[in-house]
Amino acid sequence: MRSKRIRPYALTGGRTRPRRELLVEALVSVPRYDPGLPDSLMPESRALYERARTRVSIAELSVALSMPLGVVRVLVSDLAAQGAIYVHPTAHAYHHDREMLGRILDGLEQLRI
Amino acid sequence: MRKILIVGSGQSGLQLALTLQQHGYDITMMSARTAEEIRGGRVMSTQCMFDKALSIERSHGLNLWDDVAPAMTHQGLSLSVERGERALNWLGEWPGPAQSIDQRVKMATWLELFEQRGGRVVIHGVTTADLNALAGMYDLTVVAAGKGELVQLFDRDDERSVHTRPARALSVSYVDRVPKRPERPEGSVDVWVNIVAGVGENINIPGYTVTGECEIFYLSGIPGGPFDAFSDRPGPEEQWQRHLRLLETYLPWEYERYRDAKLTDARGTLVGGYTPMVRRPVGELPSGHIVLGMADVVVANDPVTGQGANNACRCAQYYLEGILARGNEPFDREWMQQTFEAYWTHAQWVTKFTNTMLDPPEHVQAVLGVAQTNQAVADRFAGGFNDPSDLADWFFEPEKCQQYLASVS
Repeated sequence: MRSKRIRPYALTGGRTRPRRELLVEALVSVPRYDPGLPDSLMPESRALYERARTRVSIAELSVALSMPLGVVRVLVSDLAAQGAIYVHPTAHAYHHDREMLGRILDGLEQLRI
Repeated sequence: MRKILIVGSGQSGLQLALTLQQHGYDITMMSARTAEEIRGGRVMSTQCMFDKALSIERSHGLNLWDDVAPAMTHQGLSLSVERGERALNWLGEWPGPAQSIDQRVKMATWLELFEQRGGRVVIHGVTTADLNALAGMYDLTVVAAGKGELVQLFDRDDERSVHTRPARALSVSYVDRVPKRPERPEGSVDVWVNIVAGVGENINIPGYTVTGECEIFYLSGIPGGPFDAFSDRPGPEEQWQRHLRLLETYLPWEYERYRDAKLTDARGTLVGGYTPMVRRPVGELPSGHIVLGMADVVVANDPVTGQGANNACRCAQYYLEGILARGNEPFDREWMQQTFEAYWTHAQWVTKFTNTMLDPPEHVQAVLGVAQTNQAVADRFAGGFNDPSDLADWFFEPEKCQQYLASVS
């Protein structure tokens, strides 16, 4: 794959941190589907790109495509660097936001397990 | 642009990533931990780096701590034969200063630097299953993760390996508030190696850690002996107290300096032990793709001669040169083997030196004795730590050794 390389800081306006860490629970999606893109991708990346047209987690991608987690992470970060895939912020991004963490906790407590 | 995957964010992996990046290669780095996690984690080693290795880092502009790191100019050696008695005590001068930057500081900073320069970092503890699929997507995959399952991809080289079990039990404490050696001139910064015959070694290295300047205290115990006292993995404070009690008993001259020292931080201790081993450099995955092993993945030595980080630095440099020289030719099995052999021309002396010092034969003991009164011998021995290949023609065989000692006496 000869990906069109976009430096991470080009996407974030010069900031390289906080960087996406692609936790297993991180959700990804395709912001604007480009029908021309899949042809230029490797089969593995193509499958990820198609599957992420509906919002999906890193863990689900790994299971759905029978692809090891590490492979999903590498390919998704490549696609994210191109702007082809958007990585939604996880609770990790709200590390210091007590209110958000409280809401997450409330939500978890309401789950009946 | 050639695509290279590097697994492992230690000295060798990051150095290779940063230097290849400077040459325009498309590098993906996989690290089990983020920079923040590395910085906030446990100490990983003692990483004393000598002048030759430091000059490689400087040639790439990766020497980011020259202004803050203590510059160690000499290496001292003491030998205790009777408990608490200092039979030998001398020091040799190095051609250039050594330094030790806590890898928590160095690797975290290098990882961030690699990213700031546009490198791609994927945080993931890589498994063999991951590599099995990933290796085919890159022109070259380098495995620089010395711990974990990936090492199993590389078979032991029985001809080049000596040990089958750990030769020493290792323990480390990073401390500060250590006064300078009273017998040395004001401003001296030295590494000191204390050998306790039949028990093990203690090496003390002035370093730079997350809290600033520190002293890195390293204890290396012959298995089953009194220095092998940390297999229950005590908490940090308890470990340091045990270190102090052992010092008081076996190395009272060091105890006098360390008695009031404190741990630099709650993660400033380490306990371990591993089997020194040389492995074959090419690993084959079930998918048929091949990967190249680097640094302590393929040449792991006991830390007693302080060569680990130096080896990693040299290996990354040999591999960089091999990759650049390859141009657009495929990184095939033959190239991998040749690239490793180029590194082995150096690493063989490191391995030989380290294995020799784990069990010093009589003629080596004679060298240590002569150095007490002959500065040329002391300096030459200290120089062997900086460049073990300089030991090749005098140190290892009794006859050559005697000839050399006679020539300088």
